[in-house]
Amino acid sequence: MIWQLDIVLLIFIVICAIAAINIKDLMGAVIILGAYSFFMCLLWTEMGAVDVAFTEAAVGAGISTVLFIAAVNKTARRSKD
Amino acid sequence: MTEYFLAKYNFWIYVVLMMIGLYAMMGKRNLVKKLIGMNIFQTSIILLFVSAGVKKGGATVPILRHSDYGSVHAEHLIRVADYLNPLPHVLMLTAIVVSIATTGVALATLILIYKRYNTLEEDEIMAIRKDIRSYKTPRILRSKD
Amino acid sequence: MRKWFKPISLATVILTGMLLIYGTHDMPSWGDPNSPANRHISPRYITEATRKTATPNIVSAVLGDYRSYDTLGESAVIFTASISCLFLLRRIRRQRNHDD
Repeated sequence: MIWQLDIVLLIFIVICAIAAINIKDLMGAVIILGAYSFFMCLLWTEMGAVDVAFTEAAVGAGISTVLFIAAVNKTARRSKD
Repeated sequence: MTEYFLAKYNFWIYVVLMMIGLYAMMGKRNLVKKLIGMNIFQTSIILLFVSAGVKKGGATVPILRHSDYGSVHAEHLIRVADYLNPLPHVLMLTAIVVSIATTGVALATLILIYKRYNTLEEDEIMAIRKDIRSYKTPRILRSKD
Repeated sequence: MRKWFKPISLATVILTGMLLIYGTHDMPSWGDPNSPANRHISPRYITEATRKTATPNIVSAVLGDYRSYDTLGESAVIFTASISCLFLLRRIRRQRNHDD
């Protein structure tokens, strides 16, 4: 439990969340969501929850990103907001 | 004051993440953006629950050390303060898997909506539905011919 | 109406966030070893799980042994989700004419 690492990771997570909300290109937003999931995985490893961390790395950052990319490929890529 | 800040700043950042997710679900018009907001909301709640199991002061991951594993059957008891709380981790493993199931079904529904209305913006879908309900030609068909 | 939608939702979100931040005042401080969540049932899991299930990983022991019905329900949820995805994305087959 190193609180400097903790606060740096939390700031990165908030930046990734805001960027994923505000980008107009949906593919970019989805990839930033994947980066958000990997930062979340790092944060959980740092908290000591290793099982949750590797489940998140496999499921949240892997399968979820793949599903999102497939759906964005089948539908529109631009968004108005 | 500094102690209060150090004891609580994590919760405040979790609340900020939850606000970002909730704003994306309420304020954004694009349906994929709404889904991204729902994912952020879910991870912030999971983060809050995982952080309930953290113990400061030398606690490690909830996997037994070799020395403790050797003395499991002896009278010597394992010190509780050495290991993190495993219960929130178990519950949140279930929650992560349920969240991916929700996302999958939502994306399938999204593809169906796009096939039917040819757009993912909420206000355009509402306008098309209004036209259909009042027996007018929908806007997507009007613009084509 | 449409114009006011985003400011109203932003105000609602900020109000909710302020209420939640007010609510953190009563929570135990972050990482407190004596918080109620850390005192109630997890000491029993930590001290007894390995003796009863012969698994050094306590999370796996609780997930697969103490709360295995929970895991069964989770797999039921995944099964339901995958079946519903299958039915949603299935290509609708046209009915064949009988005269050919």
